[in-house]
Amino acid sequence: MEIVLQIRRFNPEKDKKPFWQPFRINADPTWKMLDCLMHIKNEMDGTLTFRKSCAHGICGSDAMKINGKSTLACQRLVRDYKAGKFVIEPLPGFPVIKDLVVDFDCFFDKLRKVLPWFINDDPAPADSERIQSPEQAEKILESVKCILCGSCTSSCPSAWMNADYLGPAALLKAYRFIADSRDRAAGERIRIVNDHDGAWRCHTIFNCVEACPKEINVTDHIARLRLEIFSRKI
Amino acid sequence: MDGIKYKWMAPFSEHFRYRFHTGMVAWGAHRLTGIGIVIFIVVHIWSISHLGSGADSFNTVMALYNTPLFKVGEIILYGTILFHALNGLRIISVDFFGGARYHKKLFWGLMAVGVILFLIGVWTMLNRAIPMNV
Repeated sequence: MEIVLQIRRFNPEKDKKPFWQPFRINADPTWKMLDCLMHIKNEMDGTLTFRKSCAHGICGSDAMKINGKSTLACQRLVRDYKAGKFVIEPLPGFPVIKDLVVDFDCFFDKLRKVLPWFINDDPAPADSERIQSPEQAEKILESVKCILCGSCTSSCPSAWMNADYLGPAALLKAYRFIADSRDRAAGERIRIVNDHDGAWRCHTIFNCVEACPKEINVTDHIARLRLEIFSRKI
Repeated sequence: MDGIKYKWMAPFSEHFRYRFHTGMVAWGAHRLTGIGIVIFIVVHIWSISHLGSGADSFNTVMALYNTPLFKVGEIILYGTILFHALNGLRIISVDFFGGARYHKKLFWGLMAVGVILFLIGVWTMLNRAIPMNV
């Protein structure tokens, strides 16, 4: 089938501002959106720039805005969209480097703020790993699925408006470690997210839930984070 | 660290091209109705303040509220408060009772309740006038 892709292009060395470029291609309905972009890059215009790595929804590097919604280009098929027209843009709210490639520095800076690593100075048991019960694991099972693609943070109006807002991805990561029974730095992380630019900046708009390619209910985790802050303060 | 480039200009640039989902519609409408209610409260306090200047002064203002234009305004106000209150229940449920898992059903369910309450309210309002000279 013939499809048209309107792609938002920008080359900082040549263009003063971004512009739309249409590409008409013959694509199979079972092609991934990433396959369409690869087809354009290989056969039509080698200057088209975008990130990709695994192409199977694991690495999270090809997040972009397709038909008005942040998503992974490798997880959406041509047939997922009714009309044969596609509008492809870089992730909103991030500075554009070139074409569909955006600068993730601000995203990872915010992630680092919530100490996204395991903290526990107690010596591990000599004969086994640190054991979790199924109930304890259940608490973090959904949040560990995050692949840090940036779809949620890029879709969040609160993050668009407030450059300092930690954003859904960082808050989800904070929850992941705070709720982990093996971690010992929950208090410190709670102090970090208990801020007007932390958990309280979320206005439950649910764009992050709609955008998440791993189907994580991020808003629910932020709500749980707030309840945790709430229970510790009282 | 460049951060996010756009501030208040955001709604007019790339962000308005973002698809509107239930949650975003509910949030936007909640904000707008919130501003509407604040404006109403200012007008309300202003009109109540006429009580201090005597019965005639207050009755003059109340007569104004019986004009057709304010009747329509009253109906809009009722709808505004109804939406804000019902969606407020949804937000409380998301924040405290795990409502994030079923927030869309909650929204449309509450809106259905809202439409019924709205029609009952409008019917009641149109069938009675504000009593004068009490």
